[in-house]
Amino acid sequence: MLHAKVVNIKEKKISLSAAEKFVHSSDYGATIYFTGTVRNQNNKKNVIGITYDSHDALVIKSFNEIYEEAYHKLKIQNRAVFIEHAKGYLNLGEISIIIAVACKHRDEAYILSRYIIEEIKKRSPIWKKEHYVDNQSDWLKGNPIVHEKN
Amino acid sequence: MKIKIELFGVSREFSKNNLLEFEINNNSTIKDIRNKIINYLDQNFNGNKNFKKIVNSSAFCTENNNIVSDNYKITKNEKIAIIPPIGGG
Repeated sequence: MLHAKVVNIKEKKISLSAAEKFVHSSDYGATIYFTGTVRNQNNKKNVIGITYDSHDALVIKSFNEIYEEAYHKLKIQNRAVFIEHAKGYLNLGEISIIIAVACKHRDEAYILSRYIIEEIKKRSPIWKKEHYVDNQSDWLKGNPIVHEKN
Repeated sequence: MKIKIELFGVSREFSKNNLLEFEINNNSTIKDIRNKIINYLDQNFNGNKNFKKIVNSSAFCTENNNIVSDNYKITKNEKIAIIPPIGGG
């Protein structure tokens, strides 16, 4: 069971309550919530906010692939996964990503939660533009997405 | 034929329209598109080295949301997205 969405921050905020509702079930004994939030410092610069950009369709495709891999690679069959990533301008402390996972047991919940965030970092086309106290802003460098063969 | 390049992330700095348009030959490949963008940067951004580096390390994505290699042949007037190095979360 997967919920995957890119949320335009101009339309709504992402919140943990929707994640809680989605993953809550007596089928699962372990639930982990991961949130990423906007930090006030990066590379010795004072950050005041971040603009997130996204190729929405490709991001959702990557979320689906990562979810399916949990079964094929990690052999975690019974799982509920909620992933939302923000798009647009976020202030300090605001949530950029929520990953909620529910599994039968804690071992697989911890493994799955970590797997999802690490794969998103490598494979989901999302970009950050940091804004600083001196009114400057910079796109963060990032890493090349993996090229697929045709 | 005409091709549209949709810009994302840092490549949005290449144009205020968030889009580049080029006239290309039939059977052009992604490699040709990459070279078109490099030429565009030479002409419009004085060969900005950082921008050119970004183009060389970018992937490209079709309208069907597939990441394609440099050999991919563009056979119709499709829209291609440039995918610069990523880093969400």
